[in-house]
Amino acid sequence: MKFIIIMLSLFAFAIPASGAGFFSSIEDRTDTMNAQLEGKNDYHANLARALADIASEEKAQHDTDVAKSFMTMAEEHAAQSGGAK
Amino acid sequence: MMHRFILLAAAFSMSACAHHINTDSSELDTARAAIAEAKAAGAEKCAPKLQAEAVASLYWAAHELDEVGYHPEENAELIAKAEAKAKEARSQAKNNCAPKPKPIAKPKPVEIIKLSGVSFANNSAELTPASIAILDSAVATLQRRSDIDVEIAAHTSSRGSAAYNMSLSNKRAASVKDYLISHGVPAKRLSSKGYGETQPIAVEKSRADEANNRRVELRVMN
Repeated sequence: MKFIIIMLSLFAFAIPASGAGFFSSIEDRTDTMNAQLEGKNDYHANLARALADIASEEKAQHDTDVAKSFMTMAEEHAAQSGGAK
Repeated sequence: MMHRFILLAAAFSMSACAHHINTDSSELDTARAAIAEAKAAGAEKCAPKLQAEAVASLYWAAHELDEVGYHPEENAELIAKAEAKAKEARSQAKNNCAPKPKPIAKPKPVEIIKLSGVSFANNSAELTPASIAILDSAVATLQRRSDIDVEIAAHTSSRGSAAYNMSLSNKRAASVKDYLISHGVPAKRLSSKGYGETQPIAVEKSRADEANNRRVELRVMN
């Protein structure tokens, strides 16, 4: 029992800070990000959109982990453009 | 059972870790260099979309290099795309970031000396005998006021086509300039320009109005 508690704690720490991002679909996260970036045309906004496109392509190829990584990068650049992460 | 649970929990925990993309591979050297050059040229500011596309392609290529089941042809395409986009971004940045030339202020005349009576043969730049005395007077004025530079401006009436009148006025202005130079006025103080029918001083309802518009002026430029 003690061991299970330790493992669950470890798992909880391993979940990224953005829990919502972890559990949301790539499509939902892309939609949210695009809404936040509406009207923005700076470098970070464009990079965020390009990385989200890659995430979608990777997801279409069933490479979900990679898709999530690119989506996380996209959201980081969206945040730098002024869109909230 | 416990072992299975531990393995499952560990695997799930690992999958939650952020995936790191390493762009340091030597295969990406040229693309990385092209992106750096574009950035140095101001592409992030002046060509943001192209530069972002270049960087995204670089990240994707870097990821594909690390992937199991790596496809060299597909990755070569991604690298080539990153390079091409970076070069395009650099070129666009050079254009978009280049300082715009300031419009050169056209000097305005500070004084206009009318050469009333200077006339030419019909449809010609040949000075009439009656013009000579007036031009000799202009020579005297320019020699007395040796500190001024002048533009010789010739105008026509609106009779005839605009293009023809522009050409004729240019020739007439040049004809007056030649006369002044030949009578001792330094060429460096003179310029000539024809304005055709673009600057009338009278509404042309009669021959007299047309004659008023056909004129030569000395425009003092300093």
